[in-house]
Amino acid sequence: MTLPIPDFILLNKGPLVFLGVSFLKVCVVFGAVMGFAALLTLAERKVSALMQDRVGPNRASVFGFALGGLFHPAADGLKLIFKEDFVPRWGDKFLFTLAPLLALFPVLLLFAALPFGNYIDIAGLRINLQIADFNLGVLFILAVSSLAIYGAFLSGWASRNNFALLGSLRAAAQMISYEVALGLTLVGVLMVYGTASLQDIAQAQGELLFGWLPAWGIVYQPFAFLLFLAAAQAENKRTPFDVVEGESEIIGYFLEYSSMRFASFMFSEFIEIIVISMLAATLFFGGWQVPYLQASGFVFPWGTEIPLNHYLVVLLQVGSISVKTVFFSWLLLVIRWTVPRFRFDQVMTLCWKGLLPLALLNILVTGVLIWWLA
Amino acid sequence: MIRIKKVDNRPLTLLERLYFTEVAAGMLVTLRHFFRNLFKPSNIVTVSYPEERLPLPGNARLRTRHRLKVRADGTPKCVACYMCQTACPAYCIDITAAEYNDGNPAEKYPRGFDIDLSRCVMCGMCVEACPEDAIAMDTGDIPGGALTREELMMDKRELLRNLPGEPSLLGASTRLHNEWDRKVKKK
Repeated sequence: MTLPIPDFILLNKGPLVFLGVSFLKVCVVFGAVMGFAALLTLAERKVSALMQDRVGPNRASVFGFALGGLFHPAADGLKLIFKEDFVPRWGDKFLFTLAPLLALFPVLLLFAALPFGNYIDIAGLRINLQIADFNLGVLFILAVSSLAIYGAFLSGWASRNNFALLGSLRAAAQMISYEVALGLTLVGVLMVYGTASLQDIAQAQGELLFGWLPAWGIVYQPFAFLLFLAAAQAENKRTPFDVVEGESEIIGYFLEYSSMRFASFMFSEFIEIIVISMLAATLFFGGWQVPYLQASGFVFPWGTEIPLNHYLVVLLQVGSISVKTVFFSWLLLVIRWTVPRFRFDQVMTLCWKGLLPLALLNILVTGVLIWWLA
Repeated sequence: MIRIKKVDNRPLTLLERLYFTEVAAGMLVTLRHFFRNLFKPSNIVTVSYPEERLPLPGNARLRTRHRLKVRADGTPKCVACYMCQTACPAYCIDITAAEYNDGNPAEKYPRGFDIDLSRCVMCGMCVEACPEDAIAMDTGDIPGGALTREELMMDKRELLRNLPGEPSLLGASTRLHNEWDRKVKKK
């Protein structure tokens, strides 16, 4: 097993090196996340189209090449930039501007705690492939993601519009309720691995159970994974639980928003899909671990060893978390386009009478099992 | 005939109330469509309209872009009676009448015949109103969008262009004109 490499080793090399490396990591992660979120806006429309026997967007083209609609995110961005930036006359202009930022920033901040690889040795430096290695990573994610409620609530309040206010009330009620369920579903994982640092959890999943089964979270906590998926989809306010917005019938909290302000709400929703996918992959599906891949190369349980170059191993690990993230994003899109919307009272019933007791039961069973096995 | 569909209103079983199995069953359906369309796009029903078109039904009630019919000698059958212009609910037809000075029994012809397709509601009232069977909406061309207003303005030359084949004998003045035409040509 590889040892966790705390960032203070980098700090010993001097604050400038630490700053430079951190800045580089932020740039890489930010670029990858923004690029993937832009592609997700296209993927959502393409996936839904294929599920409904349509072709989806394919018209935006550059010099006559449409590339299956690959230019649509750019075209959408351009369109949104040039739309009128509307502020309601009696609304609170300051809060109205602040709300989309409060919706977008917490979601982006979450990527600080999510590991996207183990470590990489470059030019005598050992760089942890995680922007900030908190030992309370899971709690950090729960705490910061609950800040997004302010964005949803302020947008409805600052619009001075009754429908927007009602929408934001629904949003706040739903997000706060599911915050509880979401937190409790993760407790079982924390109990199994005995740590709240996401890098440590990812590293612990590299071990083998019975000598052959990768000790992924899904093996220990299959039930918690289903609960997590449901609670996370609700926290993200996407379709089975999208009474918050309900674009076809009722009106959501960003009713008065247009142009890039609206886009930032929309975009934060898509980035949240990536967060959920990455979190599901990290907690339940081994994070950046590839089965049987150690720091030196593949070590199979039947004794075969394939030594690999360090950079190839890093590439495989980063590729592993990327593939898992893409897969779960796709799965969330499929769920979103399959399941019809719940009524608001059903949403609340499912949370307080369904997910919450089941999550508590999961914690109880996990605790009893851990005590019994120890 | 009234058909009765019996709805099974039994209470949900425990497994159904847990949602997860039902969601999985629903996802099986959507995933089957997703993968089928991903690997075999020929199942997709979308028609990419301006490039591909479905054949129009060859139906007498079909209403597409207008045309003006001609007589055997190539003159327009229209006698500039203003019936279509009067019948048009969208005021999109504009006729300028002129007279024949050569003894032609049809007496009048349109010097100008303009149709503004940006106003036209494709109701077919002009075709109904025409006593001479001179205007028809059977070109099979569906007027769509245009980048300028001028592209949707059709004048007489445009309307007489790309005619189908045989000259029609319908209409009183057409018969008179054709008889006269034959007499003039014999002389």
